[in-house]
Amino acid sequence: MRIFDPHVHMTSRTTEDYESMAAVGITALVEPAFWLGQPRTSVGSFTDYFDSLIGWERFRAAQFGVRHHCALALNPKEANDPRCAGVLDVLPRYLAKDGVVAVGEVGYDSMTREEDEAFARQLELAVEHDLPVLVHTPHRDKTAGTRRTLDVVRESGLPPERVVVDHLNEVTVGLVADSGCWMGFSIYPDTKMDEERMVAILREHGTDRVLVNSAADWGRSDPLKTYHTGRAMLAGGFDQSDVDEVLWHNPVAFYGQSGRLVLDEPETPATFAGNSILRGGS
Amino acid sequence: MTIEFGYGTNGFANHRLDDALAVIADLGYRCVALTLDHHHLDPYAPDLARRVDAVARRLAELGLGVVVETGARYLLDPHRKHHPTLVSDGQARRVDFLGRAIAVARDLDAACVSFWAGVRPADVPPDEAWSRLRSGVAEVVDLAARAGVRLGLEPEPGHVVARLDQALALRVELGEPDALGITLDVGHCVAVEPEDAAACVRRAGDLLVNVQLDDMLPGVHEHLEFGEGALDLRGTLAALEDVGYRGPAAVELPRHSHAAPEVARRALAALRAAATPDWLTGAERRVRADPAAIRALFPAVGRAVGRGPVRADDPGGLVHGTVDDTARARLVAALPDASELPDLYRYGDDAERRGVLRALTPDTDPGIGLPLVRDALRANDTRLVAAALGPFAAAHLDPHTWRHGVLKCLFTGVPLAAVHDLDRRADDELRRMTADYAAEREAAGRPVPDDALRLLGRTP
Repeated sequence: MRIFDPHVHMTSRTTEDYESMAAVGITALVEPAFWLGQPRTSVGSFTDYFDSLIGWERFRAAQFGVRHHCALALNPKEANDPRCAGVLDVLPRYLAKDGVVAVGEVGYDSMTREEDEAFARQLELAVEHDLPVLVHTPHRDKTAGTRRTLDVVRESGLPPERVVVDHLNEVTVGLVADSGCWMGFSIYPDTKMDEERMVAILREHGTDRVLVNSAADWGRSDPLKTYHTGRAMLAGGFDQSDVDEVLWHNPVAFYGQSGRLVLDEPETPATFAGNSILRGGS
Repeated sequence: MTIEFGYGTNGFANHRLDDALAVIADLGYRCVALTLDHHHLDPYAPDLARRVDAVARRLAELGLGVVVETGARYLLDPHRKHHPTLVSDGQARRVDFLGRAIAVARDLDAACVSFWAGVRPADVPPDEAWSRLRSGVAEVVDLAARAGVRLGLEPEPGHVVARLDQALALRVELGEPDALGITLDVGHCVAVEPEDAAACVRRAGDLLVNVQLDDMLPGVHEHLEFGEGALDLRGTLAALEDVGYRGPAAVELPRHSHAAPEVARRALAALRAAATPDWLTGAERRVRADPAAIRALFPAVGRAVGRGPVRADDPGGLVHGTVDDTARARLVAALPDASELPDLYRYGDDAERRGVLRALTPDTDPGIGLPLVRDALRANDTRLVAAALGPFAAAHLDPHTWRHGVLKCLFTGVPLAAVHDLDRRADDELRRMTADYAAEREAAGRPVPDDALRLLGRTP
């Protein structure tokens, strides 16, 4: 199995995770920018984070043969904090960087006016920088939030095939399928979606425009969930080429729209900016 | 590209004028530089008015614009090439001829009449030649102004006005008349100007009324096909675009008449290829028009131009940098000042930071450059350290920090060839530090880097 995890927060994971991922065939991924589990209090905190997503984390992934790309944005949760609003002023610089293949995660958390503004502005930036967009749908009031998300996307003028609406479930998948946007599903140990429900959705909706991710982060999550979903698909009667389409070709097609996806064997320099991942080294 | 490419009829000397115009138009040229000559619209022909009408109709049929050139060799004197001139005896004949050319240009609705000064005769002192030129040009300018025709004074190698600065000076002496513009032969720029053709184009700016295109080698006044000389055709066309030039730009290859159609075909292919801006030229143009554009262009450089070393014998690019470093330096050079540099560095990835450091020059504001160089010298990234010790650091970095930068190179394996002006700046204190370092290595039974030995005057 070769797998591209289209949404995983590797900054929060260990080198052991990278080893296990590479061992089951997860050799490419996209890490979207999101919150840290605790609030950031300044723009500088964001730019340091962005610097690590385009620099150190790419280097770390390459040590395990994993191609790391990222999506950058001001996330909806922190868009509500006036101390972080300035992120939108520096974001255009970062969207031009190597390794940045999308704008994301954007979308709604509590559906506030501030979130509206940040979301609309970042969709404009996606148009200006010719990048696809990863949209997060809210945990609370999900159906209403998904509807509103699709309205905003429609008004932005972005073609729906350049947008993935993520964290979908049985209730929200139909709305997104009808919109022409890509459908993202985050497979978690016991919330959001699980592998069996995912297989049922694939059976009902087909494999077209579907992205499956682990969304693994600092919370209870599992970076091998894409692999387990592939296994569940095979057990559920899908064949190898269906698995390959969902877990590899679909994310490649979606993020490939950036023109910046690099999928050949990563170079593995021993150090990044003179620093290595070996403890006791430099 | 909105420049109108043309071809000079003096490069079609073996063709009838009507045929030459047809071949030039068929090849895809949009205008023609018409050198009035005994066989090409002779301004002394008794039925000139009828002939001018016929040529005007022919040009209109073919959709060609026109500029009138006056450099015919034996039109005024069958024995002496280009004689008489504005600086020789018989100046009045030249003025009369230019007057006729102005009338023809008016009737053809030509973009301008192009002319040159003439070679100073051996028996005419320089002051006398200049004053003859001034009075002659003043007369011609008067004729042109009355006819509503613009003139292009062309600096011509070997002539009294041989370079652009002389043409500009004459124009100032004449009170900067509107009717007097500049004709620039870009090949001449390669041959005799102190700066390149693109710089001449920028200097002439709004005064440019006519451009002649050809290649040349430095110091040699011989009109060559594109690619045979040293002209940066792409950069020259980009400069014309930058100054907003909209006039005629005709190929000038008067010695190639024997193969004119084929030479003209090749020339247009070369012009079209060079007029399609490559990514970097387009990016420079955008930065010149809007300096803030560099914020999104700077990160994209590696994707557009590649990331390899400039020289094969420097695979890490530590000494001579990488192709993206070089391209980034060009973008920085297109900025009006250094005010963007701190943020380009602060928000840059490792390659962008290197690009900023390698773009610093001794002329960069030290208040801006020094904090960046100091930051880079604190890093562990050897490529950043190497890039920090270029000409800017050699000119501005304080001795203590500079010495520690050199020592860091020795420690981390950066070749000292990366340190600009090492021999001039190396002092006793640096040699003391290096000697201590060498002693420490030797005490530990470890090899001392060759660069350290050389710095100490010991043979590696």
